[in-house]
Amino acid sequence: MNKTWIVARREYLYNLKRPAFLFAVFGVPLFTFVMWVVIFAVTASNEESLDSFTQVGYIDSAGVLQNGILPETAPDITPPELIAFESEEAARTALDNREIGVYFLISADYMSSGQVSTYSYSGVPRALRSYIQSLLLANISRQTPGDLPLERIENPVNMSIHVADSGRNLTEANIPALILMPLVFAMIFMMASGVTSGFLMSGVVEEKTNRIMEILVTSITPMQMLLGKVIGLGLLGLTQILVWGVAIVVLLNVGQTLPLLQGIAVPVDLMIVFVVYFILSYFLLSGLMAGIGAVVGSEQESRQWSSIISLLWVLPFFFITSFLSDPNGALPVALTLIPFTAPTTALLRLGFTAVPLWQIALSLAILLLTTIFTVWASARVFHWALLRYGKRVSVRELLRVIRQPPEAEISLAQSAQEGAR
Amino acid sequence: MQPETAIRVERISKTYGDFRAVNDLSFEVYRGEIFAMLGPNGSGKTTTMRMILDILKPDTGKIEVLGGALTDATKDKIGYLPEERGLYRSVRVLEMMEYLATLKGLSSGEARKRSQAMLERLDLAEHAKKKVSELSKGMQQKIQFAVTVLHDPELIIIDEPFSGLDPVNTLALKDLVMEFRAKGGTVVMSTHQMWQVEEMADRLLMIHKGEQQLYGPVEDIRKRYALHAIIVEGQGNWAALPGVERIETLENGRKGTLLYLESQTTTDDILAAIATTRNISIERFELAVPSLNDIFIRVVEEHGQ
Repeated sequence: MNKTWIVARREYLYNLKRPAFLFAVFGVPLFTFVMWVVIFAVTASNEESLDSFTQVGYIDSAGVLQNGILPETAPDITPPELIAFESEEAARTALDNREIGVYFLISADYMSSGQVSTYSYSGVPRALRSYIQSLLLANISRQTPGDLPLERIENPVNMSIHVADSGRNLTEANIPALILMPLVFAMIFMMASGVTSGFLMSGVVEEKTNRIMEILVTSITPMQMLLGKVIGLGLLGLTQILVWGVAIVVLLNVGQTLPLLQGIAVPVDLMIVFVVYFILSYFLLSGLMAGIGAVVGSEQESRQWSSIISLLWVLPFFFITSFLSDPNGALPVALTLIPFTAPTTALLRLGFTAVPLWQIALSLAILLLTTIFTVWASARVFHWALLRYGKRVSVRELLRVIRQPPEAEISLAQSAQEGAR
Repeated sequence: MQPETAIRVERISKTYGDFRAVNDLSFEVYRGEIFAMLGPNGSGKTTTMRMILDILKPDTGKIEVLGGALTDATKDKIGYLPEERGLYRSVRVLEMMEYLATLKGLSSGEARKRSQAMLERLDLAEHAKKKVSELSKGMQQKIQFAVTVLHDPELIIIDEPFSGLDPVNTLALKDLVMEFRAKGGTVVMSTHQMWQVEEMADRLLMIHKGEQQLYGPVEDIRKRYALHAIIVEGQGNWAALPGVERIETLENGRKGTLLYLESQTTTDDILAAIATTRNISIERFELAVPSLNDIFIRVVEEHGQ
C-alpha cells in the first residue's frame, strides 16, 4: 500500500474513534434534536393553554364591543366565555377570586391609541392574544364603510419576491428557509473543517513534541506525511458532513409540523457549490494548520492560532444583516473574493440572491490558486520545521524557507542545549 | 578480505549558523558489525546520524547507505532509534507498533503478527492493549527498540540506546542488540557508557567538536593507547625487579599493582625476571590496557574541552 494512504487510513481511523470527534458528530445533532423536541413541546403546550382561560373578563371603556360580535375561530379551538365587567376593581376581584383567568381593559381612547391591557397571573398565551385581536377587529370593522374583507385589513400584503435569473422564488412562507439553509450550511462547514483541521494541527504538534517525528521522517517523506494527513482528515470531515446531512433530513421530516420549517427543501445547486467550496477551502485550512502546527512549539500555542484562523471563516456571519439588505453590495462581493471568507460568504449570498456567475467563478479561481500555493508553501515549511524545537520563527525566516527548496533544520537552540549538557 | 561496506561517509561537514557541528568527517561502517560512535555531548554524533538518515543534508561531502544514496526503498531497510524517544503516548501499544511497521513497508497483517510475536518475546504481551503512557519507562524503551527492528532492517542506527535504563533493562536491551547482530544485522550506536562499547562494539569512531579523534577496531585502539606497563597481583617486592621504573597501587576498588617499565624493557623480560626471582608469588599478570573511558577522557583533555 502506498505510504500516503497508510497515513491517511491511520489518521482517519484513529481520529474517528476520538471522543472529541464522536461528540462533534453525534452530540451536535443530538443536541439540536433535543432542542427541537423542547421547542415543539413548549409550542404545543402554549397552544393548549387557551383551555385554561375559559373565562375571560373585559372592561370596555371605549364601547367597541357593544355589538357583541364574535370572531370566527378554527373548529378545533373553543372560544372562551367573555364576561363584561363595569369597573376594573370588579374585574380585579374576579381575577383574585379565580373566577376568571384573565381580563383585558380597552382604554377609553382606544380608537386613537389602540391601547388594550391584559391582566393575569400567568401571562397570556399567543392564541388568546390573537383571539382578542380578532375580536376587536371583527367589531371595529363594522364601523368602517364598505365591505372590507377582514383578512386584508389584518394582513394587507402577502408578498412573493422573484429574483431574476436565480430561479428561486421567495414567498413569505419560505424566506426563513432560505435564510436558514445557507446559515446551516455555513455552520456545518465551519464545524466540520474546524474539527478536522484542529485534529491535523494537534496531531502534528504531538508528533513533534513527542519526537516521534524523527522516526516518521526516516520512514516516509514529509510530503507523504502531509498529504496523508490532509486526505485522511478530509475524509473524516466528509464523514461528519454525511452524518449531519442524514440528521438534517431526519430532523426536517420530524419537524414538518413546525410552521417555521414547512416548505424547506435543500436546494441542489446550493449543495453542489457547498461541496466544491468545502473541498477547496478545507485544503486551504488544513494546509495552513499543518504549516503552523509544524512551526509552533506547543499545543496551547497551536490552539490560539487555530481560533484566530477559524475567525476568518466566521467573519461573514458578522455582516449578515448587510448581506440581507444588499446581497450584491461592495462588502459582500469583496468577501466573496477573499479566499478565507469566500466559502461562507458565497453560501450566504447564494441563499438570499442571485450571485453573478463571474463572481462565483472568480472566487473559486482565487480560492483554488491560494489553496495550491498554501499547500505547497506549507509543505516546505512543514519539512523545514519538523525538527526545530523551542525557537520562535520570524515571518522573514518563513518567507526565506518558502523560497528555498525544502530541508529540515535543527534549531540552534537545540544544538546549544546539547553542547551545554 | 575487504569487508562489505554498509555506510560510507566521505568528508561531510555541517554548520548551523556560526556553529560547526560536523567538520570534514569520513568513516565507513561494515556490514554485520557493531559500530560505536563516541563523543562528549554536542560533539556531532546525533547530527552525523541524522545526516546518514537523510533527515539533514550535509553542507559538503557524500554519504552512501547500503550501496548508494538513501532512497525510499533503502529507508525501509533501516531502523532508527532517536535519542529523544518518540512514541504516541495516547495510542495503544499494539496499534502503534503496527502503524509504524506498516510505514516501513510491512503489510498490516504481517505487521500485526510480528508486533504480537515481539511483545511475547519481550514479556509485554499483556500490555498490548494498554496505552503507551501507562507503561513504565523501561517498557517504553523496549517497545521503542522493538519498533526499530520490527520490519527486519539490515541496518539499525541507535542513538544512546541505554540512557536512562536500569541495569536489568540495559541487559535486556543489550541482548536484543546482540541478537540482531547475530542474525547478520549492522548496528551503528552512540553511547556514553564505555563499557558497553568495550563489550559490544567491533569498531568505533570517537568524535569531538565535530572532528574525528579516533577511528578503528576497538582492540587496536585500546592497544594503541596501552601504557608501557603491566598489572600484577601477588606477593613480593615488585619495585626491586629489573626493568621496573616505578610502581603504583591500583585504586578505586581495582586490585593489583601497576608496574611502569623502562623504555627498553619488554613484558617478556619482566615475566622472565618474575619467574627467576625468589620470594615472589604471582597470581595475575596482564598488560595494562586502559579502559575506553580512560582513553576517552585523555583524548578530550588533550584537545581541550
